[in-house]
Amino acid sequence: MNTHMLLTVLGLAIVAFPALLLSGFLVAFLLQTRLGERTISTLVQAAVNLSLLATLCAALTMLLQGKAQHPIELGDWVITPYYHFKVEFVLDVLSLSYVLLTLLLCAVIAGFSTRYLHRDPGYGRFFSLYSVFLLGMVTAALSDTVETLFAGWEMVGLASVLLIAFFHSRPAPPRNGLRVWVIYRSCDVALLLAAILMHEINGAGDFDHLVGELAWPNHEVIVIPEHFALLGLLFVIAAAGKSALLPFSSWLPRAMEGPTPSSAIFYGALSVHLGVFLLLRVSPVLDSSALLSGIVVALGVASALFAYLAGRVQTDIKSALAFASLTQVGLIIAEIGLGFRYLALLHLLGHACLRTLQFLRAPSLLHDHHQIENAIGTRPRAETVAWEDRLPRGMRMRLYRFALERGYLDALLEKMVARPVLGLFQTFSRWEDRWAAWLQGGPPSQPVTSNVAEPGTVGHSR
Amino acid sequence: MILPALLALPFAAALLCLVLRPVWSLRISLGGLVLFLLGAAAISLGLPQDSVDADTLFALDNLAAPMLPVFALVHLLSHLGTAKTVTSKAYCLRSLLATGFSALALTCHHDATLLALMVSTSALPLWELQERGGSARAFVLYMAVFCGLVLSAFAAGLAEQRPLGVGLLLLALMVRGGLFPAHSWLPVLFSQASYGTSLLYILPLMEILVVIRVVLTVIPGWMLDVAGVVCLVSAVYCGGLAMVQTQVSRFFAFLCLSQTSLVMYALLLHTPNGVTAALCLWMSAALALTGLAFSIRSIESRFGALSLDEYHGQYDQVPGLAALFLITGLASVGFPGTVGFVPMELLFGGSFEEGLLSSAAIAVATMLNGIALLRAYFALFTGKRPQTSIVLTTTWRERIGIVLITLAVFGGAWLTPSVVASRHTTAEQLLGTTPAH
Repeated sequence: MNTHMLLTVLGLAIVAFPALLLSGFLVAFLLQTRLGERTISTLVQAAVNLSLLATLCAALTMLLQGKAQHPIELGDWVITPYYHFKVEFVLDVLSLSYVLLTLLLCAVIAGFSTRYLHRDPGYGRFFSLYSVFLLGMVTAALSDTVETLFAGWEMVGLASVLLIAFFHSRPAPPRNGLRVWVIYRSCDVALLLAAILMHEINGAGDFDHLVGELAWPNHEVIVIPEHFALLGLLFVIAAAGKSALLPFSSWLPRAMEGPTPSSAIFYGALSVHLGVFLLLRVSPVLDSSALLSGIVVALGVASALFAYLAGRVQTDIKSALAFASLTQVGLIIAEIGLGFRYLALLHLLGHACLRTLQFLRAPSLLHDHHQIENAIGTRPRAETVAWEDRLPRGMRMRLYRFALERGYLDALLEKMVARPVLGLFQTFSRWEDRWAAWLQGGPPSQPVTSNVAEPGTVGHSR
Repeated sequence: MILPALLALPFAAALLCLVLRPVWSLRISLGGLVLFLLGAAAISLGLPQDSVDADTLFALDNLAAPMLPVFALVHLLSHLGTAKTVTSKAYCLRSLLATGFSALALTCHHDATLLALMVSTSALPLWELQERGGSARAFVLYMAVFCGLVLSAFAAGLAEQRPLGVGLLLLALMVRGGLFPAHSWLPVLFSQASYGTSLLYILPLMEILVVIRVVLTVIPGWMLDVAGVVCLVSAVYCGGLAMVQTQVSRFFAFLCLSQTSLVMYALLLHTPNGVTAALCLWMSAALALTGLAFSIRSIESRFGALSLDEYHGQYDQVPGLAALFLITGLASVGFPGTVGFVPMELLFGGSFEEGLLSSAAIAVATMLNGIALLRAYFALFTGKRPQTSIVLTTTWRERIGIVLITLAVFGGAWLTPSVVASRHTTAEQLLGTTPAH
């Protein structure tokens, strides 16, 4: 078997094992069989570890052979003279690093979760969603076409949202899950449009048609027609939604409703970095326009500053960690805007590992703090930051309130976007009801508001 | 000889239902629909005729061949999803007659007969509305407008392909398909009649069939443009309304309308890409929405009509139905890995030829549908689990339905390449006879 063939087989194996895991859950669903904890644990560990092994082998082979890039073309899955859906993966520094990170952290989380969720009624559900997430991440990370990336992107989004609502007997998790879904779906519109624009520019959704065939991070000088600077902007919006950058940051603390392992893997480590990954993949598009690069830097710095301030006043550890994550994500985005791609990738890898550790440590941290307090007989000294004391009192208060209200982002989005949109459709719905009542011969003046959700709650009035 | 026998099968079963004792109705109708599905699948696997003689009334061509088993599956699933307690003799009769009429319409190659069949199917929901004793005024009014427009179209020279006749027929089809602003009858129908009857009336998407058979080859370009805009507005408007409903039936009705508007839009793009997308979406939307309706009516048969303004917490009682709701709902909005993904991608590809604004409108419509869907999922399946003293697990009929739908949604995704290739050939044949738009 030559190197080319070997890398192709290994690349396919990386995707195939998570796909088989998901298929296993699907077959169990079709057979109406309830899998036991041990079976699930064995299947998950096997799939993740085998995929990880394939990734390591692929990385080693490429290193030893001095190959910087290996495309895996599976051909056109769907083809007509006017449309083709190409399934293509790529093994390069960026994709292999991100897949390696994904599989390493997923393996850790799988091991942690089998104990953390032992005897939980949602054990099977958690790992079913975990398998959707895993397949989505691996697909998105290895994708070499925008369609393949979009498929993985959507799977990650769905799994994230359903895991936020994991503890579904309480009202808050589903409500927060829905909010996150709304933001995800809204920003996915941008990715969809970007995909369509890519087809318009290149006649295909392949990234190498867009950024050239050189291995990442090198790229040919690309010239995108001026009015297609819109393409870069659409990528930035999609990334901002997925990575909780401004103005979409409000969903991040809401995502902490899920079980700790999912918070760690999604919002501390992998999912929140998927937007970063996207910008790294299309970074030549950003480089083609100084304005776009400037926007990316400004967005990253603003998000980092906001998250730092908001994180300073959080009173629960998961929210504090969520904002700490966002601070770093903002900085990584700024690095991408400045053109430091290797730095951004290293920053991403280091940050994801550190944050996973912190999230997994979070449940036992309070216990340890109590032990320390008992041992020393008093509370440990509170941490202070010198520059905050030098601010005028009024400014400090304003900053404090701004941080406490998380930049009023939730209120702003609700007031300026959610309420007007919902209000509009609720009004239409009332008119519809009146019209239907009149047609049906009912009293036209009959109140029909019961058919319509309360404003500002995307339907849920509880 | 096989096709006439197959087309006669539902009517024969209906006749048996009529003459035998009511206790046999359920078995006969179910058996008849299973046989019809098997027959439709078998006949479709044979090579269809590439061309049909001008004087042939009923024939299976490239357009109808793959749709016949889909129609059969939709009707069977609709029947399987109906609780035994409500499957009366009349319901079984209606179900079989709807199957028969749909199959006849699908294979019909005579314009006037096709329209007559389409008009006659309106009697079935009316029959149920009368039987239930509810008000049928909205339905009757809209269908009277539909019938009036069809007659006017003929009077205005539809047979001679005069633009006025074609335009009036297009208007009639927009009323029948429930496109904005002529959509108000459909949410009322879903509220007043059973899901099964409403579903079998709307989901075969007869208006798509008539557009393909009668309108597409003769319609002027400017009418296509206007109708396309109406479809886009309808998709976004109904998607937005689906998002704010608090009754499950109305949510489903608006979701259906939004999706069917997209199918119609794809068709009216009048390009090979658009028509291919429409033909694929026709299949995927019918399957996915049938599955979604299946899960909704299975839930409502246990817990009664549910509202979406509170959390019902039914997941623990019926996890299979919850999963089915999510899978089919996501398939209907084109989620990756499901039968709806590639057709939706085709639609996006096709719509760009009309400008980025059209693509954006479709993206917004799918976004709204996706939000509405997950909101409904959370409302129905999350929340505090209600205390019940009786077992509410899925029945064997429901389990068969769940397996069939899941296989169709995921298995259909694997068959996408061959389906798209065959639909593209059909689309080119359909457009090959007309000048480019």
